[in-house]
Amino acid sequence: MDLYFIVFAIMAVGAALFTITARDALPSALGLLTVFIALAALYLHLHAPLIAIFQVSIYAGAILVLVVFVIMLLITPDEELENVQKNMSYRILGAFLGAYLIALLAVGTKGVQDLVKSQALPEGFGHPSLIGSMFFKEYLLHFEVASVLLLVALVAAIYLAKKKNI
Amino acid sequence: MADWQIDLIKVVFIWVWALLIAVVMTWVERRASAMMQDRLGPNRAGPFGLFQPLADGIKLFTKEDIIPEKARKILFVLGPPLFALPAFSAYAVVPFGDKIVLGGKEIILQVSDVNIGFLYVLALGAIGVYGMVIGGWASNSKYSILGGLRATAQLISYEVPMGLALLTIVLLYGTFSLREMVLLQQGTFLGFLPNWGIFKQPLGFIIFLVAAYAEANRVPFDLPECESELVTGYHTEYGSMRLGLYLFGEYVNLGTLAAITVSLFFGGWALPYVDMSKFLGPVAYGIASFTVFFLKQAFFLFLFVWVRWTVPRFRYDQLMGLGWKALIPLGLVNLFVTALLVQLTI
Repeated sequence: MDLYFIVFAIMAVGAALFTITARDALPSALGLLTVFIALAALYLHLHAPLIAIFQVSIYAGAILVLVVFVIMLLITPDEELENVQKNMSYRILGAFLGAYLIALLAVGTKGVQDLVKSQALPEGFGHPSLIGSMFFKEYLLHFEVASVLLLVALVAAIYLAKKKNI
Repeated sequence: MADWQIDLIKVVFIWVWALLIAVVMTWVERRASAMMQDRLGPNRAGPFGLFQPLADGIKLFTKEDIIPEKARKILFVLGPPLFALPAFSAYAVVPFGDKIVLGGKEIILQVSDVNIGFLYVLALGAIGVYGMVIGGWASNSKYSILGGLRATAQLISYEVPMGLALLTIVLLYGTFSLREMVLLQQGTFLGFLPNWGIFKQPLGFIIFLVAAYAEANRVPFDLPECESELVTGYHTEYGSMRLGLYLFGEYVNLGTLAAITVSLFFGGWALPYVDMSKFLGPVAYGIASFTVFFLKQAFFLFLFVWVRWTVPRFRYDQLMGLGWKALIPLGLVNLFVTALLVQLTI
């Protein structure tokens, strides 16, 4: 375990805990921002600068900015988030989903022992052109399926926005 | 000298250099605006009023530091540094000169030549908005919140055309590294033009420039501040050096954007038609390339000032309309045409 990993891992976990426990909406969003940046730092440590930059520019720079935008539209600094979810069925569903995700994570950690053995990095690892050719050769189907998913979301957004005028 | 010492010197030098440019820019802004409006501007402190920024700095530092009672204290304090830091950090990938040989060692005049160069600049630009948002929200005042809100919407809108314009540049040069891009802009284009990005991507340059003005919150796109509607927008409640950091961060941002413009579209440190490395010694060449880069950057910094005191502010719906209905379609068309041309010429 090297120090760099420990520092940023603790930062990520701590910020994630803060995100789900914070009473204020905007500080909670900033906690999420810290998680993204800590994760980006870890990606950098894993010699994947492109992924790190995407993490920052897409998640922190675009998606979270939208989240913050909505928070600022709806909530002023005086308001605190109450425990608004009173519906029992949602809570039970949330508990099940949470348990499922934790179980998934536990199954995933089984693979960790393979990772402990250090390997030499392949030539040009993490270079943008290498990632590009992987995208469009080996993982073309996944890439296209993801783009279809985005297209569906886009069409749905336009439909929702237009509904009133029909 | 060991490598890490050289890196440290480069980091400190660029930090100080960025600061210096920002300091002088506050003076240039006031003097140039005065010139354009047939006034004198600040001309009392030192020769031509050059010590005015110093006097302003002392004033800001010694002013009483007020935090509004209803503000969120921690976030209020956090806002200004979060705005200024990303602006400084973006300088790390700017190639502010070619190379210089000192003590038998070849030193590249760039803090870090990473292969994801300008994506890093884009990412930091996106992070910079949080400084405004946090400041606006934490102030707990309606003007500040509106300013912060406008900043987020504006940033999201103009990040897209900027990204599209930059993508065409990537297609053209096939690299993300700013240094390699500058190296690819040497020589001539069509036999008589300098081989600069602007001649190959004129539309991309215009889209990039407009988006850059919006990203930097400069007039005509300074809606997050917008004195006539929002007092001063997101930093209405700020005073003393905290306000100073906001104002200062803006000028550092301008410096970065001007430097990126120069390296992407105007050949970076190289002079057109003349290869300086042929007849200059290694040390003189380093200094000369640095100077050339700075002069080009200075021109774009002045352009920022020039536009600010020439063009009136947009209305908010006009700003959004320009971003989504004009720049993004134009950027997409430009991207498609460029992709086709690149594909045909490979």
